[in-house]
Amino acid sequence: MQLNGVDIDDTFAEAFNMRATRVLITAQNLRWAYNAANAMTGFATSVIGCGVEAGIERELSEDETPDGRPGVSVLLFAMGSKVLMQQLETRMGQCILTCPTAAAFAGIESEDMISLGKHLRFFGDGNQISKQIPDATGKLKRFWRIPVMDGEFLTEETTGMVRAIGGGNFLVLGTSQAQVLTACEAAIDAMRKLPNVVMPFPGGVVRSGSKVGSKYPKMFASTNDAFCPTLKGAVKSELDPRVESVMEIVVNGLTFEDIAISMKAGIEAACSLGKENGILRISAGNYGGKLGQHHFKLRPILSGEVTA
Amino acid sequence: MSHIIFTAKPLSRAVDCRALLPLALQGKTVAEIAAIKLAANLTVAEAFDVSVDVAIAAPQVTFKKTTALHHSIGFGMTAGQLSIEGDAGDFLGAQLQNGIVICKGSAGARAGDRMRRGMLLIEGNAGDYCASDMMAGTLGVLGTTGAYVGYGMKRGTLLLAQAPQLSATWVDCGPHKLPFLNILYKSFKLLDSRFAQISSLRVQRWMGDMGGIGKAEILVIQP
Repeated sequence: MQLNGVDIDDTFAEAFNMRATRVLITAQNLRWAYNAANAMTGFATSVIGCGVEAGIERELSEDETPDGRPGVSVLLFAMGSKVLMQQLETRMGQCILTCPTAAAFAGIESEDMISLGKHLRFFGDGNQISKQIPDATGKLKRFWRIPVMDGEFLTEETTGMVRAIGGGNFLVLGTSQAQVLTACEAAIDAMRKLPNVVMPFPGGVVRSGSKVGSKYPKMFASTNDAFCPTLKGAVKSELDPRVESVMEIVVNGLTFEDIAISMKAGIEAACSLGKENGILRISAGNYGGKLGQHHFKLRPILSGEVTA
Repeated sequence: MSHIIFTAKPLSRAVDCRALLPLALQGKTVAEIAAIKLAANLTVAEAFDVSVDVAIAAPQVTFKKTTALHHSIGFGMTAGQLSIEGDAGDFLGAQLQNGIVICKGSAGARAGDRMRRGMLLIEGNAGDYCASDMMAGTLGVLGTTGAYVGYGMKRGTLLLAQAPQLSATWVDCGPHKLPFLNILYKSFKLLDSRFAQISSLRVQRWMGDMGGIGKAEILVIQP
């Protein structure tokens, strides 16, 4: 299979069950909403070292936010509910509470509600105020007003936690680092327009794909040597002689369909640069299919088949 | 769910309306409601014309043509919405547990007394001891307030459109722009009330009643 002259491997991305939540962050203006959101989703590229994988989903207009101010929505993913709850509280306390004018609200409804400002309220040292206010559907929502030096920090008490999927991915292989990066940028631009997904790595792109295990006993993951261009002649390589650079886009989403749709948009955008611009192949990362619960097969996805 | 409408008949005696709450009247027929005793010698049928509309989503009660003689409207209410198209007597929304009470006229003394949760919105004036011993929730008054506003008030928010005469046990915390008012006003916009027109986020904040625990607030809307 080819797309604009780019070979599409007959392979799949292997992804895992995760838990996720969405938080709406508002502020006096978008600059400060982004300052808060960037802090909250910083150091959140991989659950291996960061606890959660997180990213900014999209900007929110004033009529989309509970308090009528501009904002952004962020998605956070973790391997389990306990870690997600811990990370959310820590990041709320260190990144949102501290950011001037920022406020935080639940961004998703679920039967599983987890603490957003429920415990953070104690920062108010007894001066915190609870307000229960009905939303547009008449459902009562509890908010906490916590006195801080810039005025009041406003946060909803809880947000929803849902089942989600993390680890959808594809690899872009090309003749130069610059060309592959340009293709990845195009892919990320396309994927960021879609809801319910985030690409948690820096700029959405990861250059250090890993394999399971290592020659060093204490390391449980190490560089994906089969896709390292500088090792082409020395290891059992997956690369042909023309490939000089490989980059990966990892995507986490709320459902299988969300990830599949975003992978399709990203691959099509990357391939739109074509073979003449040095994009040679699209592949995907997997562990032989035995570890992850979800397989995203590249060719069916590009044919528009997005069933789980 | 049903919307029960009580149209007051002209009476020269006080009428205790605490039995006429949205949730308590759900599923009752007009005849059953009319037979409810408001006092030993007064039934609903003697004090009100009753009609029931069963095609609505949430439990609701509306009082029409009421006067200051109709006291304890919404007393201890736990859910639903209660509207008063007229005046209300003393103890309007007293011991309110939850739900929304809207009074389009004026209220008597001790409106919101010992209120614990929910929202009480008075478009006219409120009498003496407004929000007395209030424990939580939101009480709004667009008109004037009488003497001893917030007497013994523990927690909760009293939102006023006009500056009150406050006792020395209330302390001035200065003018502020409070972001939570955005959300509160947004909820007002869903109501058939003049409160839906409020938009100023700037308020003068008072805390009290320092004669007690002093965790309550009075917010006076600034232009």
